[in-house]
Amino acid sequence: MNQEELNKKLEQISDKLIAVERPLEDRVFLLCESENSYQLNKFLFEDVPLRFVVATGIDAEDCFEVLYHYSYDQTGCIVTLRAFIRDREKPAIESISPFLPGAEWIEREMHDILGIEFKNHPDMRRLILADDWPEGVYPLRKSSS
Amino acid sequence: MSWKISALKKSPWVFHVNTGACNNCDIEIVNLLTPKFDVERFGIKLVGSPRHADALLVTGVVTQQAAPRLQEVYRQTAKPCVVFVIGACACDKGIFTTGYHVVGPVDKIIKEVDPNAIIAYVPGCPPKPEAIISGVVKALSTL
Repeated sequence: MNQEELNKKLEQISDKLIAVERPLEDRVFLLCESENSYQLNKFLFEDVPLRFVVATGIDAEDCFEVLYHYSYDQTGCIVTLRAFIRDREKPAIESISPFLPGAEWIEREMHDILGIEFKNHPDMRRLILADDWPEGVYPLRKSSS
Repeated sequence: MSWKISALKKSPWVFHVNTGACNNCDIEIVNLLTPKFDVERFGIKLVGSPRHADALLVTGVVTQQAAPRLQEVYRQTAKPCVVFVIGACACDKGIFTTGYHVVGPVDKIIKEVDPNAIIAYVPGCPPKPEAIISGVVKALSTL
């Protein structure tokens, strides 16, 4: 499968996206709402299929963002799915760990330091914060720095 | 006390504590102990337990999780002992000054347990093995 076929595959999900940004030929950003992220991730990981690299979380002040980074190794194309979580009080998003166990720890880390709840995560224990760190304090939120 | 110190100086056994270093200082310490510098020829020996040690080699800024453990290691070290603080982060937090998980430089945490602790500093990011040897020699010659 070459780059054009990948582009065609990605067009199949365009109705669930807010926008597609393409700063370079081999760099794609897919913007979506958090409600659609589970389905879109499942499509990218199982149907395209792309290799899951890592996920990152951002506190963007008006919303939280979870960015899932995928790589398409045949052409070196990096695809990032940006999911926006609009609820700032109780940020929550569907976990992708049930079909992608490699995402378990990075979701636990995001839960630790940004306070994003991952629904249906199999094991939501604390990962990187100290054992005596207080509950409900999220060090990488903008409000805590 | 003086005969104890002179006995300690002859052949200090060291225990290596990493309290949250980036591993760069640890590489330099391993470099010290391996054949190129080989400090064992001066009687400086790495041991596996703080109870056998005369000196602690502490690297890295002290994180919230590591602070009580560092204090416990210090309590278990046979006294008198010398704490060698290796690297910029351990000496004064370095680039991690504003980190949310950082509770302080090594000397502050050690002094919470023992205000009279003997502490020697070797700054650098990371300090060269020569600098560490020089620091250890200078510290031991002032005791």
